[in-house]
Formats: sequence, C-alpha cells, structure tokens
Amino acid sequence: MMHDASSAATMEAHWGGGAAPFGASWQKTMMWIFIVTDALLFSGLLCAYSFLRQASPAPWPGPQEGPFSIPFIALMTFILITSSATMGSAVGASKLGDHRATLRYLVLTIVGGAAFLGCQAYEWTHLIREGQHLMNHAKGAPFLVNPWGPPQYGQSFFLLTGFHGSHVFSGLVILTITAIRSALGKTPAQNVEMAGLYWHFVDLVWVFIFTLFYLI
Amino acid sequence: MSASHANPYRIYWITWALLLVVTVSMLGAEAFHMPRWLLVPFLLTFMMLKAVMIGGNFMHLRFEKSNLGLMVFAGIMVTTLILFLYITPESHHVLDRTIR
Repeated sequence: MMHDASSAATMEAHWGGGAAPFGASWQKTMMWIFIVTDALLFSGLLCAYSFLRQASPAPWPGPQEGPFSIPFIALMTFILITSSATMGSAVGASKLGDHRATLRYLVLTIVGGAAFLGCQAYEWTHLIREGQHLMNHAKGAPFLVNPWGPPQYGQSFFLLTGFHGSHVFSGLVILTITAIRSALGKTPAQNVEMAGLYWHFVDLVWVFIFTLFYLI
Repeated sequence: MSASHANPYRIYWITWALLLVVTVSMLGAEAFHMPRWLLVPFLLTFMMLKAVMIGGNFMHLRFEKSNLGLMVFAGIMVTTLILFLYITPESHHVLDRTIR
C-alpha cells in the first residue's frame, strides 16, 4: 500500500500539464478512457448485429418467436441492476471509511454477478439443447443449425452475450480481489470506486443488449 | 450538510427503483403488443434513459466536470453514429443482392 501511494505520488509529481484537464485523478481518467474504448468494442459488435439483422433475407425472430423466456431475461436484468445498486453502496461506504459496510456490499455485488453468470450459463445451455448447435459436424461449419430463423441469429446471440459474459466474469475477478484487499484493510476508497466504474459499465452494456437483442 | 452527505446510499437506491420502473415499462410495452412503429422508438428512448441514469448516478458523471462527460458521451455516440450510418445502407445493398 505504501508502495502504491508512493508510486502514485511520483506520477503526480511528474505531471507537468498544469491543471488536470478532467478535474479527476489520473487513475480515474485512465479508467474512463479504458471504458470508452471498451464501449466502442461493444458499439462495433452491436452495429455488426444491426448489419446482420438488416441484411438477413430470412425473417428475424421477434421476442415472441425466439427461444428466450422474456421473464427470465427480465430476472437477469433485475439481478444486474440490483448488483449495480449494491456496488454503488459499496463505493459510498468506502468513501465514508466504513470498511464493514464496504465489504458487505462488495460481497452482495459478487453474489449478484455470480447469479447473473449462472443465469447466462443456463440460457446458453437451454439454447443449445433447443437446437442451436455450436458446431454442425455434417457441414463442417459452425452455428448453421438454427430452428428459429437465420443462422446469424444464433451467431449474434453467442457473440454479444459471450463478450458481455466475459466482462461480467472479469468484473467478478476484480471485485473478488477488491473485497479480499478490503477485508485486509489494503484497499483505498479510490480503488473501490474504480472497480465500481467497471461494474456499472458492465450493467450499462447489458441495457443495450437487453433492448436491442431481446426486446426489439 | 446536503442530503447526499447525510445518506450516501440514497441516490443509488432511488436510481435502482427508477431503473426498475423503466425496465417494467419496457417489458409492459412488449407484452401488450404495442404497434411496432411506436414500440421501437419507445424502447430506444427508454434504453437511452436507463443509460443516462446509470452513467449519471451510478458512474457519477453528473458530479464530474462536464468535459469528462462530454468526452465519454461524444466519443461513444459520435463514433457509433458514424459506424451505424455507414453500414446501414450497405446492409440494404447486401439484402437486395441476396434476394435477386
């Protein structure tokens, strides 16, 4: 911790650009730049999804025709939104210096994230069992068997939710490390805030996937 | 002492409740088979509303300097818009060629 603080102080001392342009610490500024670049990755994926959907000659299955249970997806959304609220509370508690509350809210967020990942694993299994195969061995090409419509439907689903799920998983790793360090009293409030920014970003991406893939 | 200082958790749980209301409204619009020409703009508007609430309240952009918010919002939205506007006509060309 001493080492972290001294390296941060060294970097601050080397900053020669006058006032910080965004009025934020360099850690927070870098985190936001990372979030913007990661958001652009999802933006590209969603635009590709839009392209595939509009270029598809076969009708794209709507929410009622597809294989998904909308109430189940709504439950996943509820879990993720709730975990974002607990994460926000962890950030609030860490700023107050309340370590017990910080740890409690971090653990609740981890439980929510793990529940969301479990739901996503169930959703993938369900879709594969319903007929969306990951590999069509007969033709030697992936994702071609799909009883609901164009093959791009299954491809888009696995790509979008897979990328999002991998972000949820990384978020869980970050939160677990933050919680352990917080329990040991080694995490400053700023680190909890950085972990929180990443977790809220994961929630933000889900808002777009939920609407654009499942509802429209 | 401001209200947010008195209870630092309040803003997160108010935002949580608002997000739930908006999500339930979106699901309701879907369940009641709102006409598609109305449903799509409705869902897109509410999606953006949710994004603003998460960015503003959960990610604290409301409380940061405005140029940070501008960098984030403009960086993402302008790039996405350019990408979307470039590829959408192309998707129609691909569809036309496939059908013919």
